[in-house]
Amino acid sequence: MKIAVCIKRVPDTETRIAIAANRTAIVETGVKFILNPYDEFAVEAALQLKQAHGGDVMVVSLGPDTIQETLRVALAMGADRAVQLKTDGAPFDTLSVASALAAELTTYAPDLVLLGKMAIDDYNHAMGPALAELLGMPCVSAISKLTVADGRLTAEREVEGGVEVVTAPLPAVLTADKGLNKPRLPTLPGIMAAKKKPMEVRPAALGVARVVVRSLEPPPERPAGRIIGEGAAAVPELIRLLQTEAKVL
Amino acid sequence: MTPAMLVFVVLLVLAAGFFSYNSQRLVRYLRIGRPDDRTTQIPVRLRNLVTIGIGQSKILRDPLAGVMHALVFWGFLVLTAGTVEILIQGVAPGFTYDGILGPLYPAYVVSQEAFALFVLAAVSWLVYRRLVIRPKRLRGDKLEQWDALLILGMIAVLMVTLFVTNASAAIADPASVAPARVLSRGLSHLAAGLSPETAAVVQSVSWWIHVVLVLVFLNYLPYSKHLHVISSLPNVFLSNTSGPGTIGAMRPMDLEAEGVEVFGASDVEHLSWKSLLDGYSCTECGRCTAACPANLTGKLLSPRKIVINVRERLLERAPVLVGTSFDGVVEPAGDLVHAEATQEPEARLLDGFITEEELWACTSCRACVTECPVSIDQLDVINELRRNLVLMESRFPAEVQPAFQSLERNGTPWAFNAADRGEWAAGMGIPTVAELAAAGRQPTVLFWVGCMGSFDLRARKITVAFAQIMQAAGIEFAILGQEEQCNGDPARRMGNEYLYQMLAKATIAQLDGYGVRTVVTICPHCFHQMGNEYPQLGGHYEVIHHSVYIERLLAEGRIPLAESGDGPRSIAYHDSCYLGRYNDVYDAPRETLRRVLPIVQLAEPARNRSRGLCCGAGGGRMWMEETVGTRINVERTGELLATGADAIAAACPFCMTMLSDGVKAHESSVPVLDIAEVVAGRLAPRR
Amino acid sequence: MAPVLAFAESRGTALRKAALEAVAAARSIAGADPVHALLVGPPGIAAVAPELGRAGASTVFVCEHAGFTQSNPEAASALAADRARSGGYRAVVFVSTAQGRDLAPRVAARLGAPLATDVTSLVVTGDEIIATHPVYSGKAIATLVVTGAPAVLAVRPSSFAPEQTTHTATVETIAPIGDPSASRVVVTELRTGGGARLDVAEAPIVVSGGRGLKDAANFAIVEDLAAAFGNAAVGASRAVVDAGWRDHGEQVGQTGKTVSPSLYIAVGISGMIQHLAGMRTARTIVAINRDKEAPIFKVADYGIVGDLFEIVPALAAAVREARRTG
Repeated sequence: MKIAVCIKRVPDTETRIAIAANRTAIVETGVKFILNPYDEFAVEAALQLKQAHGGDVMVVSLGPDTIQETLRVALAMGADRAVQLKTDGAPFDTLSVASALAAELTTYAPDLVLLGKMAIDDYNHAMGPALAELLGMPCVSAISKLTVADGRLTAEREVEGGVEVVTAPLPAVLTADKGLNKPRLPTLPGIMAAKKKPMEVRPAALGVARVVVRSLEPPPERPAGRIIGEGAAAVPELIRLLQTEAKVL
Repeated sequence: MTPAMLVFVVLLVLAAGFFSYNSQRLVRYLRIGRPDDRTTQIPVRLRNLVTIGIGQSKILRDPLAGVMHALVFWGFLVLTAGTVEILIQGVAPGFTYDGILGPLYPAYVVSQEAFALFVLAAVSWLVYRRLVIRPKRLRGDKLEQWDALLILGMIAVLMVTLFVTNASAAIADPASVAPARVLSRGLSHLAAGLSPETAAVVQSVSWWIHVVLVLVFLNYLPYSKHLHVISSLPNVFLSNTSGPGTIGAMRPMDLEAEGVEVFGASDVEHLSWKSLLDGYSCTECGRCTAACPANLTGKLLSPRKIVINVRERLLERAPVLVGTSFDGVVEPAGDLVHAEATQEPEARLLDGFITEEELWACTSCRACVTECPVSIDQLDVINELRRNLVLMESRFPAEVQPAFQSLERNGTPWAFNAADRGEWAAGMGIPTVAELAAAGRQPTVLFWVGCMGSFDLRARKITVAFAQIMQAAGIEFAILGQEEQCNGDPARRMGNEYLYQMLAKATIAQLDGYGVRTVVTICPHCFHQMGNEYPQLGGHYEVIHHSVYIERLLAEGRIPLAESGDGPRSIAYHDSCYLGRYNDVYDAPRETLRRVLPIVQLAEPARNRSRGLCCGAGGGRMWMEETVGTRINVERTGELLATGADAIAAACPFCMTMLSDGVKAHESSVPVLDIAEVVAGRLAPRR
Repeated sequence: MAPVLAFAESRGTALRKAALEAVAAARSIAGADPVHALLVGPPGIAAVAPELGRAGASTVFVCEHAGFTQSNPEAASALAADRARSGGYRAVVFVSTAQGRDLAPRVAARLGAPLATDVTSLVVTGDEIIATHPVYSGKAIATLVVTGAPAVLAVRPSSFAPEQTTHTATVETIAPIGDPSASRVVVTELRTGGGARLDVAEAPIVVSGGRGLKDAANFAIVEDLAAAFGNAAVGASRAVVDAGWRDHGEQVGQTGKTVSPSLYIAVGISGMIQHLAGMRTARTIVAINRDKEAPIFKVADYGIVGDLFEIVPALAAAVREARRTG
């Protein structure tokens, strides 16, 4: 079985975000970068399928040389080979990036393409279905359960108020949601072995970018926390604040 | 040569030969372990040999049983001379040391008789203890009981036959028995009616029983826990667990080493040969388990079991790796690791004998190591197995994963923002090391705050208190502020050596980059890590714990204290494991309390100083769930509250959290204070 | 005259609220231009078309086919792309629901159109559409410039409030593209309900109880407050889980679950470092505790000091009232 996993290097969610002077990016110094957690589920699913059906797992990612560190994490988990599609920076336009990935994947001709349902930095939540259309493959997005047998896949995905059970033939594109599996942690021998696995670098064939980030702003200021009163008498005020200020009620 | 002599010689040769075979076999088994250089620090080793080994200092920690065992042991040493004398009689009947010792001979004889009596008395009491008193730690399994009673029985018979032989000799041939043999002579009066011929027969029979029993005893040792009779003195000499320069540092690990396939230990061949020798030396006394905070609150962990498991597995596995043929060639250690051997995963030491549950229950408090009379290092085995679980299989409690992740990504074991680290110092005017560096200066003293002191709201008060004290004393110090990252200790304690080395190397590079020489810290874990373990990775700093530092400042009169003031009238001070057992810091905090609160009464809890009960947070357990048995911190807090003291004092932010929690669980309102807070509360008001 | 197409999400033969929000979003950028709605579903779906008219659509294109009994992403996106191409639209609008997130990128890829998702506001300026889009878990807001027509947009649920007008829409029946029953991706089943209790890590509102409740039985007031919100889960501090009052699955904190709800109410929880580590990223934090020095108040947006046994029931009643009238 040939499985391709598309991954992304993203800032860790715990990081404090500071907007850079140019207002279109975040300050990167002091920020720890990690493998996108949703992509971890995808890598794990690929590795489990490889263990069950045999085959090859390729991880591919788009970005500057710094992403090699993240590709190595996937290799340490157990992937067999990595491909870096080289760009300057991280383009925002989903379709532009999808074109580059589609070009690479068409060459690789996988039986299955896996990726996380979304990246925790851009929150676009669109790469999977877009990529599938460009590849002409069926796509099931945001899956939390997966079985593959006899050239067909069966998956479950959460929708509002319920769970859809979906089937599709291979080859297909799947995007992973939380709960699909528990990603394995790289062991020390895995980390050592990853240093020797093949890493290819190619220029990325990006499509035209027609969605660009003009600026980044911090979210509207949260007023400082305060004790609003004592005893049950403070309840009406709390309700008022929850309705008007916090807008959660 | 008489037939008797012939029989004797044959028996002697057979016994000696068999013993030699077993000894060689057991030594060969040790060779399957990893190399471990124990030829350093000879003076310390000799000192330990004399005090702990011969002086029985650790055995004597249990007052009554300790004295009894010491008597048996010293008796054994003294009586060995007599045993040799008796064996020579086997080929030279009637031989005694009289001719050799001359005027000293009577003294020698008295020593023999006296110690034989002591040994007999001690052994009798020990049998009584085993069968009637039945202390908890000696309620081992049936096999162990039989083993113990058999040995005690044999020793008793040996002593009795010693007296009977000499007593009957005194009747059969009075001239052959020295006048100094008062006891034997006295005994002979009881059987005065015996004819010399009968007495001679009794003497002969008794002599033979004694000799045969000695040879049997000798050859029984390799099959019994009494192997420690032979191995304990070498074990004490070769141990790294006591004395200056042995500060409880975890075993260094070279992660870059070529050709290493196994990190940590999953089976006996991955342990150091010294750990295997520890297995031979365990007397199964159970003092370690009796002192273990996990065990006494109902967890599965038993340090004794760990060591016995090592021995059991060694005796199972080594023959497979080494070959059981007597004339097998002894290969040098290391090659044997690659020997072909079938090894079913379920049978290996890790999982097959020692379970994950046991390993993760350990708080690394070092009570087991402190108590062991033969200087076994139980903690070393636990740590190596933990390292294997984490590095090779990524197996650890689920709740530890966020801590590892946060350490890796965030430089702190909790999901707090690294940028908040310096918040506590707002408005205090403390320079950061970076600021000093920008002005071309190096810090005189670096105040290493640690993650607890930076993020935990309660612990921050300790940080502020100590900073205030240093400022009041006019100490020039700086902090790393936002740049400070975890020094890696929690990762190392939890077995993640890879993550630890990443963090530690980064910290060392940072400190060296700033030219830091002296570090003072409020956390015993940071103190131990940076002072005692960083040298393994090339970080050499003078690291001082705040309790010691404050005491020093007080002794020098540099801390301005208020004239008068209120304070608790009595304080129960809790000894932190990493200050006390690991680093012998017991007095400085107490002295500090006495100096700042002159009329305070220090109420010592039942288990204090080197016997102090752990708070339960060590060994990475701060980040783990405690689901079995009762809670260690509740147990310890109960002990502290039972002193009736007005306040509890600690010198560690982790202990502080655990004890505060414990106080709440006991529904008490006794305050828990850090030493620094007590002192800061007594500072003279700023002018 | 460039109309805007809104995809009207439905399930079975019922319209979903997202459909009305899509129309509202479409209206906000259409300005004076008309808004068309695309409605696909099993036979009978046409009955809900008038609702779309009242929401502001001037024309509703309806495709009824048995193949749309369950969600059918391939057929739906093929049809949407085809309609978008033939209608010369300025934009195609979806809502970022599970379905919308699946369809919008497909349509964009088919059309070769620019795509912006999870959008919270929209402004058209000539050639460009300016959209705001939260990034980095909401820690920053990106202003995007979308160039090209048609643009495919997916708006965040609850960002565009449905309108109520008295319009009636023209309803036009259209045929599917190909045979919807022959789609490769087949939804075989939709499992609903199941009565699963809201998971503390997933619920938008979490009400947590701590040691201040004094007794396991008193947790009833926490459960009641959660019930008052309707979509809240019950959480617990470590102390009460250790004491056996609550299940470990409800534990919030360093060794329990990390939660990030819109609203987190901490009842009788002091706020030790281990608990805070599990809920600091909640959007709004409310603390109720009798100790005004409790560390939880330092992280809470709103705090009430006092006897929780008085405050919590009063709060539950007030929440019920607010939800009833609001």
